Amino acid sequence: MSAIEIADLTKRYGEVAANDGVTFDVEAGEIFGYLGPNGAGKTTTIRLLLGLIKPTSGTATVLGTDIRDRRALTEAKANVGYLPDTLGFEERLTGRQVLDYFARMRGDRRREELLELFTPPLDQRVETYSAGNRRMLGIVQAFMHDPDLAILDEPTAGLDPLKQDRMHAFIEAERDAGKTIFFSSHVLSEVQRVCDRVGIIREGKLVALEHIDDLLERGGKHVRVQLAEAVDEERFVTAEMIDVETVGSTVRFTYTGESAALLEHLVRFEVEDVDIGDPQLDDIFKHYYGDDSPAREE
Amino acid sequence: MTAILRNESGKLLRGTLTLTGLLVVLTAFFFVVFPSIQEEAELFEEVYPEYMLELLGIEELHTIEGFVGGYIFPFVWILLAGIYFAYISAGMISRDVRTRRLDLTLAGPVSRESVLLQKVAALWVPLVALNLGLATVLFVGATLLGESFDLVSLAMVHLLGTPYLLACAGIGIVLSVVVDRVETAQAVSLVLVFVLWLVDGLSSMSPDFEWVGDLTLSRYYDPSAILVHEEYAFVDAGLLLAVFLVLLGVAVLVFTRRDI
Repeated sequence: MSAIEIADLTKRYGEVAANDGVTFDVEAGEIFGYLGPNGAGKTTTIRLLLGLIKPTSGTATVLGTDIRDRRALTEAKANVGYLPDTLGFEERLTGRQVLDYFARMRGDRRREELLELFTPPLDQRVETYSAGNRRMLGIVQAFMHDPDLAILDEPTAGLDPLKQDRMHAFIEAERDAGKTIFFSSHVLSEVQRVCDRVGIIREGKLVALEHIDDLLERGGKHVRVQLAEAVDEERFVTAEMIDVETVGSTVRFTYTGESAALLEHLVRFEVEDVDIGDPQLDDIFKHYYGDDSPAREE
Repeated sequence: MTAILRNESGKLLRGTLTLTGLLVVLTAFFFVVFPSIQEEAELFEEVYPEYMLELLGIEELHTIEGFVGGYIFPFVWILLAGIYFAYISAGMISRDVRTRRLDLTLAGPVSRESVLLQKVAALWVPLVALNLGLATVLFVGATLLGESFDLVSLAMVHLLGTPYLLACAGIGIVLSVVVDRVETAQAVSLVLVFVLWLVDGLSSMSPDFEWVGDLTLSRYYDPSAILVHEEYAFVDAGLLLAVFLVLLGVAVLVFTRRDI
């Protein structure tokens, strides 16, 4: 059974299509990554799934319930956890009071267990929270009623690296326990690390639906290399480098090949400094999926 | 099922205490000046023709009943409290949409109807506080001045005034679901209640335009009639209650159908 089935889901705001005929399924018991640059329409899809906004056309089911059936969806949400991108907590309440509030609405069986992993300062008012603490409080409220399906919108935004790792390990454990995780992100490496399957959305359209192994081959790194002398582009640039920019002895590019191959290539030059980081997702997408490639589905 | 009601009630507590405190102080101040007004009031009533006083809604200004019904209630209850109810109601939904608080609330198994009704139900806090606070200060104030109220009339002026405040809240709650900007919703509701109050007063001065006043809320709540003449207009109060329920129905209808 699919936890989420999305069929030709479209949401238009005037001329702009925030979601344009999006179609895919999320299987029960998988971690599904919903990947796209900021503004691609990820949050729109999620808010459609939760019934916060209505589709212009098309529909979807969440745990077997049609999102257009308002009453049935309300009941189904008892079994859904949601971590929004913007966390609208009651600012004047303490973290503990916020959790009490959500507990009264939907239960808190796993609260203590979650608070051992994620540690927002419960006795402080939410208005004093850092972004990371807010996110942790959001994670606890999303999972504390032990939902079968968790919908997470940029779940690690604002978390420090240690807590990000903890979050990744946690959702993997949830998946292994049979839960379904639907997870949006604009960070390619994060999705590559934890997801089983990935849907890629650009400008409201689903451009690809991939198994993670396929996506791993399509990775990319943003690289900046400082050489000892002016760059000889002909010798330096390989086919795996895209968007190459050279200024004097510095060269920036997005590398789409294997990391090991890149390092082997670089040692042949006199490198003074090198910086390898996550790429701009949109550059990578343009490279792999083109500017107007039709949706490829598997 | 009552998590939102509890939460909203708590949120209204601080503002309610401030408002009630202010209105109690204001009323007490009116009482302090009453003795000096009392003497001039008699002169006032002698000088002006009777129909004029009636049109202004001022009767028996030199009695405590006339003073409270014609002076204190129109200002404190009809205008200030009316504006407060419209204003806080106007922020109920619009603010939660703006801050994305509703996303989290509605992610749980709770219907939009329930969210809206629980928020409106939380108005019990200012209603109870205002009724108790004002009744107390009126009773104590009158006693200190050596005057006394008919307790039934005093209870009635509060009881029949409650539907008026609810109707004002109805205006606010409709604006709260229709208007996206919190500030706009609150400003419009504030101005609307004020204008309705003004129109009621102005229209009663000209027989040609008196019918316009029939469209205002305050026309259906007359504290002077209750306190001075012991006339209890239950039908009018029922009408205000009906207006509140209709506005609430409209708000639910709009809220359950819109994107947030």
